[in-house]
Amino acid sequence: MTRIDLKDVLSRTVNTVYGDLVTRRTGEAVRFGIEAMLQDADETTVIDFGTVRLMDMSCADEIIGKLLLRQGTGRYFLLVGVHAAHEDALQPVLERHRLAVVAQDRTGALKLLGSLPEEARRAFGVLADSGPALPDEVAARLALPADQARHALETLCEHRVVRETGGHYQALQCA
Amino acid sequence: MTRVVEVPAQFDDRTFDHFARSYSADGGGRVLFDAHATQWASPFGLVGLLTAGQAIAEAGDERPLLTLPQDRDVAHYWGRTGFLHHAEQYFEIHGKSPRAAARGDSDVLLEITPVREADDVHGVVGHIQDRAATILTHELGLEATATMGFGMALSEACQNIVEHAGTGGWVAVQTYTWRRKLRRRVVIIAVSDAGVGFRRSLEATQAKRFGDRWSDAAALEAALIQGVSRFRDPGRGQGLAGIRRYLNRWAGKLAVRSGTARMAMVPSWDDDVPLADQLPFFPGTQVLMIVPAHAEAT
Repeated sequence: MTRIDLKDVLSRTVNTVYGDLVTRRTGEAVRFGIEAMLQDADETTVIDFGTVRLMDMSCADEIIGKLLLRQGTGRYFLLVGVHAAHEDALQPVLERHRLAVVAQDRTGALKLLGSLPEEARRAFGVLADSGPALPDEVAARLALPADQARHALETLCEHRVVRETGGHYQALQCA
Repeated sequence: MTRVVEVPAQFDDRTFDHFARSYSADGGGRVLFDAHATQWASPFGLVGLLTAGQAIAEAGDERPLLTLPQDRDVAHYWGRTGFLHHAEQYFEIHGKSPRAAARGDSDVLLEITPVREADDVHGVVGHIQDRAATILTHELGLEATATMGFGMALSEACQNIVEHAGTGGWVAVQTYTWRRKLRRRVVIIAVSDAGVGFRRSLEATQAKRFGDRWSDAAALEAALIQGVSRFRDPGRGQGLAGIRRYLNRWAGKLAVRSGTARMAMVPSWDDDVPLADQLPFFPGTQVLMIVPAHAEAT
């Protein structure tokens, strides 16, 4: 996994004086910085919000919204250090673009941000709580027909918030 | 010939239309902004007055006159807010200007500050964030999460100037006890620019859709309710919606005036109207945000 600290990228790409992720121009510069780092990055990238005090929606749209739109089909992104105010900025951006991403807090708990159908959210909850699972196991936990559970898991995979390996589905998370 | 524009005795968002009517009245000649009888002006009033001066300057008209409040305390307050410092570039000032005011007044969270480019937004947000956190949590009794949302709302409101106005604008943030309605402490953000306004900003992409209904009010509706932006980028147009959500969560008020219309998100403690149309014209856009103290904090 490649780890990217947003504050470091802000310092490097914009300047060392700014402490907040505000304005589209700043967001665009930070995204360009991240995209440059992705050229040598692993398939999964962890973006660390832990040192970011404030992020507005314009910046969230430029950094995370556009990053997922441009890079999200070939890569996995996991957000860490996301607090409630970050979520307030991220959630509408993700919904607007019909995107989703996994946020992991300091305790390791996983949270799905963005726009996904209810069944997919519930299926993600099972994987986040219990770890990797087969579709039949998820179906049993949610009292869903097997094909519906499989469809929910495939939806999660399409949004790259879950990976499938050898028939098991696993929520994206820090190693 | 001089045309007199009266600055109301109590100059705030409630009396702003009276000021705008006087400002937009027909008649040529040099403009005199007469504030000699003004007893009080809110941040919204003061950034609006600067906007009036800026609009005249940018139109290339003769430099207007401004008579300062006779009341020394009022004039001193105008100095403390930073108004007089900026007014010098737009007005020929008459009346006794107070000496340079002491900085760091506890009620003035952010002096009147020009916003022209993205760097100014960083400056505003960075300057205010720590003090805003103290005021919002300790004086207004709001949860800590209110602080970050406050910065976001402030940032998005200022960015509207940078992204859409086509000229510079002003922002001011102040806290005071609002005795008139709430009898609570409030934080007020006032943002104003002398730019093109919502109607002209959205005209190219939205006027056809609205047809005969196209107006300042329709443009405000498109931007505030429908989240429409002049940019084709689907990520655009979220800033005002974010401001609305933030203020709604904390029982705050949002009012946006542009051209001849004003749209407001009216909380239960206020009796403003949601939409006022066919108002006297005033240049650019004026945004008012009010965050009240939690009921148990005051």
